[in-house]
Amino acid sequence: MEQRLANSWRMSVNDKKFIEEALLSDIRIDGRGPFEYRRLTIKFGKEDGQSEVQLGHTHVMAYVTSQLVQPYRDRPNEGTLSIFTELSPMADPSFEVGRPGELAIELGRVIDRGLRESRAVDMESLCVVAGRFVWAVRVDLHIVDNGGNLIDAANIAALAALLTFRRPECTIGGEDGQEITIHPPEVREPLGLIIHHLPVAVTFGIFGEDKSLVVDPTHHEEAVMGGRMTTTVNSNGDVCAIQKAGGEGVMPSEIMRCLRVASVKAAEITQTIKESVDVYNENRSLRHIKRHLKSAPVEVRVPERGTEGNETGGVATDFSKLSSSEAGGEDAKPPKWDPPSMGSSLDSIGSPAALPGSPMVTKGEEAPSGDAVESTEDPEVKPLTLKTPSLKQETQSPPRTLRDAVKAKQKKKKKK
Amino acid sequence: MEEVRADGRNGQQLRPLVCTRNLLHRAHGSAQWCQGDTIVLAAVYGPKAGTKKGENPEKASIEVIWKPKTGQIGKTEKQYEMILRRTLQSICILTIHPNTTTSVILQVVSDSGALLPCAINASCAALVDAGIPLKHLAVSVSCGLTQNGSLILDPSKVEEQELQAFVCMAFPNSPVTVLPEASSSKEGEPMEHGIITSTSYGSMSVNDYLCCIEYGRAASAKISEFLRRSLETEHNP
Repeated sequence: MEQRLANSWRMSVNDKKFIEEALLSDIRIDGRGPFEYRRLTIKFGKEDGQSEVQLGHTHVMAYVTSQLVQPYRDRPNEGTLSIFTELSPMADPSFEVGRPGELAIELGRVIDRGLRESRAVDMESLCVVAGRFVWAVRVDLHIVDNGGNLIDAANIAALAALLTFRRPECTIGGEDGQEITIHPPEVREPLGLIIHHLPVAVTFGIFGEDKSLVVDPTHHEEAVMGGRMTTTVNSNGDVCAIQKAGGEGVMPSEIMRCLRVASVKAAEITQTIKESVDVYNENRSLRHIKRHLKSAPVEVRVPERGTEGNETGGVATDFSKLSSSEAGGEDAKPPKWDPPSMGSSLDSIGSPAALPGSPMVTKGEEAPSGDAVESTEDPEVKPLTLKTPSLKQETQSPPRTLRDAVKAKQKKKKKK
Repeated sequence: MEEVRADGRNGQQLRPLVCTRNLLHRAHGSAQWCQGDTIVLAAVYGPKAGTKKGENPEKASIEVIWKPKTGQIGKTEKQYEMILRRTLQSICILTIHPNTTTSVILQVVSDSGALLPCAINASCAALVDAGIPLKHLAVSVSCGLTQNGSLILDPSKVEEQELQAFVCMAFPNSPVTVLPEASSSKEGEPMEHGIITSTSYGSMSVNDYLCCIEYGRAASAKISEFLRRSLETEHNP
């Protein structure tokens, strides 16, 4: 569908003038200084190699996967790294599905240059059998919300995902040394990638007559700015890539100043990324300790075909405490639903008010066998949704007391 | 016949549900729905002016875009888009905004079984968040038939691969009306006994299929109650 004028977003002249005037006095509309970044949060998914970055309102997700392929002819002992950027229509109503537009291609290329051509990721360690099998690492970047400055956010997401990605270990065997066995993660611990340095992209917006520069432009500032310059630097002070494609001209002295600012910012961002990755790695090693079910499943009483299986009459566990003490609003409360039959329950289904606040909250545990051990639990009716845009994060660090740990062990023994 | 599944549930237990709304800033409505480890993020933009070529301009049209986690868009994605589109078309009131397009964009964040039901639930919540007029909500659940003949609700990815057959169903949400006799029954059967969408994979006997529907209906009541509660707490400050 071609873009109708009614559907495209245009900034009003008043807004434009306001932003420009404010910048003349070094004021930005969100109150930041000209060289200040927005709030950066880095979260990780459950599996290795999944990251989610929020830079102010901009939201980017990155997924890293790997596959064994044949290497390129001219580089028979190097793996490959490819970056796919998806400007999802979710992010901005002007992004269309289908062929990637200019912005998507530019974004992909800048990140590609920063990561691949600066040799940030070690390619030779990805070689398995020279000339036959190498690992091809693929980074998928999904832009989910466009709040401005996509390049920086996407770059950070890609870095975070690559740092936490683990590829399966493989051994070469067979008679002629050409057979490869890929070990699943349960058998052998997967290996991380070797990353030499972290190239961080810092984008500057160029405004107005006096060519003032600001770091990390928001979506509104991007609509007003005259030009954009992206510098990719790492914390060692190396310049990995610079992208300034058209737009307002800038004096060379200004560019040098930008590079200095960028290296300071890059150091800060590198620090943030490293801290988040450390936390993730800690949680990951904790996760390998097998624990019981964290949150209880939702129970559904189903009209049986035959036996009315009155399962889990009174099994309620201490684990409700664990699940409800998790951060914020990840509560998955399993309320008890107990209609005697389908017909009469319809009235109670309709209105939640009619639902009995049942005194017993039943939860399914590992083996709802006869030895129901624990005492019944008070129903914990908590609101299930939140306004805060936090995604569910699988961590193993809710506030636990020693008592909980002891109890867990006891349960395990009793189940036997 | 109650066997314990890999994650400790029995045949009639769903995974924990989490619904978060209003996550994105540019989208008009957004919601994220998690069923255990399957997470789908849905965003709604609409209504936008104009319809695609070939669409009926006297009605609003719904456009669904499915973005997989990795990889190219293939037939599976197109199939999901089509199923979702038809499901959502039946719950939206299409005559209110003629000649407009409402886009629903889904992003798979992680897939651990029951992806399509999760997506349907997420898009419903996102439509509510965007304020698109709906007749009723759709709640969706999947139910599978294992190799030894028992039915399990909400199979995980590992379980799905070993199932003989499974069905993904969408039911209308049970309505809450002020009137005591809800005007929501057709021919004596209450409305929420109806089924909006049913997609099955694998072969099963007719009896098994009907049992799946029964299971699904029971589960949908539970999910519908959860959904309603989550929507209500949002709007009551």
